[in-house]
Amino acid sequence: MNRRSLVLPAAGLTAALALSACSSGGGSGSSADGTTTIRFVAADYGSNGQNPTQAYWQGVISAFEQQHPKIKVDLQVINWNDLDTQVKTMVQNGNQPDILQTGGYADFAKNGLLYPATDVLSGATQQDFIPAMSRAGEQEGTQYGIPFVSSARMFLVNNALFRKAGLDPAKPLKTWDDITAAATALKKAGVEVPLGVPLGKEEAQGESFIWMLENHGGYQDASGHYTVNSQANIDTFTQLKTWVDAGLTEQSPAAVNRTDLQKDFASGKVGMENGFPGQLADLKGMDVTWAAMPSKDGATNATLGVGDWVMAFKKGGHKDQIKAFLDFAYGKDNTVKFEKEYNLLPVTQSAAAALQADPEEKALVPFLKILPTASFYPLSDPTWPGVSAQIKTQIGSAVSDPKKALDALQQAAQQAGQ
Amino acid sequence: MSHSTTTAVPPGRAARRTAAPEPPVRRRSLFQRLGPLPWLAPAVLLILGVVVWPVVEMVSTSLRRIDTTGTDHGPAGLLKYHKLFGDPRLPAVLGWTAVWTVAVVGLTMLISLALAQLFNQQFPGRRITRWALIAPWAASVLMTAIGFRWMLDQVAGVLNRLLLDLGLIDHSRAWLGDAAHARPWLVAVAVFVSLPFTTYTLLAGLQTVPAEVYEAARVDGATPWQTYRKVTLPLLRPAFLVGLVINLINVFNSFPVIWGMTQGGPNADTATTTVFMYMLRGYDVAESAAMSVVNFGVVILMVIVFLKVSRWNGEEN
Repeated sequence: MNRRSLVLPAAGLTAALALSACSSGGGSGSSADGTTTIRFVAADYGSNGQNPTQAYWQGVISAFEQQHPKIKVDLQVINWNDLDTQVKTMVQNGNQPDILQTGGYADFAKNGLLYPATDVLSGATQQDFIPAMSRAGEQEGTQYGIPFVSSARMFLVNNALFRKAGLDPAKPLKTWDDITAAATALKKAGVEVPLGVPLGKEEAQGESFIWMLENHGGYQDASGHYTVNSQANIDTFTQLKTWVDAGLTEQSPAAVNRTDLQKDFASGKVGMENGFPGQLADLKGMDVTWAAMPSKDGATNATLGVGDWVMAFKKGGHKDQIKAFLDFAYGKDNTVKFEKEYNLLPVTQSAAAALQADPEEKALVPFLKILPTASFYPLSDPTWPGVSAQIKTQIGSAVSDPKKALDALQQAAQQAGQ
Repeated sequence: MSHSTTTAVPPGRAARRTAAPEPPVRRRSLFQRLGPLPWLAPAVLLILGVVVWPVVEMVSTSLRRIDTTGTDHGPAGLLKYHKLFGDPRLPAVLGWTAVWTVAVVGLTMLISLALAQLFNQQFPGRRITRWALIAPWAASVLMTAIGFRWMLDQVAGVLNRLLLDLGLIDHSRAWLGDAAHARPWLVAVAVFVSLPFTTYTLLAGLQTVPAEVYEAARVDGATPWQTYRKVTLPLLRPAFLVGLVINLINVFNSFPVIWGMTQGGPNADTATTTVFMYMLRGYDVAESAAMSVVNFGVVILMVIVFLKVSRWNGEEN
């Protein structure tokens, strides 16, 4: 065999490896025939691979491309677990998408990577947003985050288990003492998990925040300084610890993720928990009560509201194409369809009105009603995404040693962004 | 390797040339002058691209200031290493990594020695049991880990059901809920998935031991235990060392067992350095890279020990 013929394939293989290392991503830009391609990265709201969000966006995009033959949209739907790191890698490699739909915008805005919302939304689209939601997208007076969907939490009770324990599910729990009494009764009646407190890393930042709010605490004070280890928060976790030690919750809340607890609730093993509208589909046909959040003193029933965001990156320079796509995607029919599909709450006034008038969506109405009073994470703070990631893995240990865990997180929060 | 001109001929060669005259040397082509380089180049390029380049990237990332969006804010010096070594969770993580590696590798080697001995005997059904041993190896480690995670679950777990029905416990336990309970289970699962490879390595070693030496031992009146200690074990040493070192590196770097069962949690109580590195990645890529550099150093150390040991092995033989 000719020696040369051995070398060439091997060299070719090496070159191919080197090339494939460079060619990941990319693909946005203008081609010779005048069509412009914009890259759109979105989160997957489908659970367990069912009703994938890819299908929804493909539908929107093909309708959009028919109307705008000069614009192509290159879609990439990524699941929530990998979304942050993949986007981070894109930015690190200077390969950011034109449009991103994810959980937070503040750190991108802080780095000057984003178009202001006014640059990429037409006047009509902009005026349709619920004003409070638009304001939550502002950083230092300029709106960068464009609200996409929202959600709110309510207290969820399994009526059958309550009756089994001799409790009246129609009589809502008002205070933490009520929770203690109900949980004790549920435990006596043999309920596996009387009170579900999922402090596993999946959603620990949200679960903790709800309990903090019920004791007039929270992550930051009014002036935007972190107060993770405030006395109110320490008291909150001391109460949670009392419930855990008394066996009224799952044995190790720090190791229980929200998704798993929801499954346990749906299979009738959990007496009560902080629920959210995404569970409505799973709970169809189950006898449950959605109620206002009980609080320590019964004086507040503040709850957590969450929002997901759309943002437009400056790097590609496709302002006009982004604007055309966002105006199309935020049309009422599209937003209503998405919110119905995943039981999410609207961020536009037109969609809110449509959902409230829809008899099939009666279950969403209580959530729509409490949304204006809900508290949000410190969304516009650029340090929040990093702090939130640390809270997720560490705050669970606060049910064993409240002060130590919260002190450590407070210290980490103060160091973040330095 | 390649001289720039053909006139620079070493004296030895010149002498030979006078003894046995050859046709005059033609100007060598460029390809010939490159010597073995064209044959080495693909391998060298591959190593540069796949091994060296990522290492360089890893080290340089650990010296940068990179925020949660992936934006680079310039050099950070050794800041991230200070942050890493100042992390209150790190001592526990390092301690558990050492315990984890020693416990998993130690148990794996011991059990594998026994299993290899068993499978080296003739008994009915040996072929089937040998095949069965491959099962934990053939299944994806992550799949095995997730399977165990659900078997050990507090609410849905089959282990709780079994123990409750047998009356051994009076209420369900969260077997992976705290470090004290989770760690032994993690070790058990890691040993379970490491056994097939190690057993087969040792079995291969056992089959190279010639029958005559056992015969000689029997003739000399050695007891079975003496035979095992004085004949089998020394002859098994090469296979044993290979299994030991490969397991050490594998287990030290092991990610799927711990990630699949506890994700390093609660807190970072069951995280080894590899898992901890992955947890840090969520909010500080540079600190995570610093952790990788430390890990890389440990693996290099293990490889050096391996090379020393295999040289010692070669000399003894």
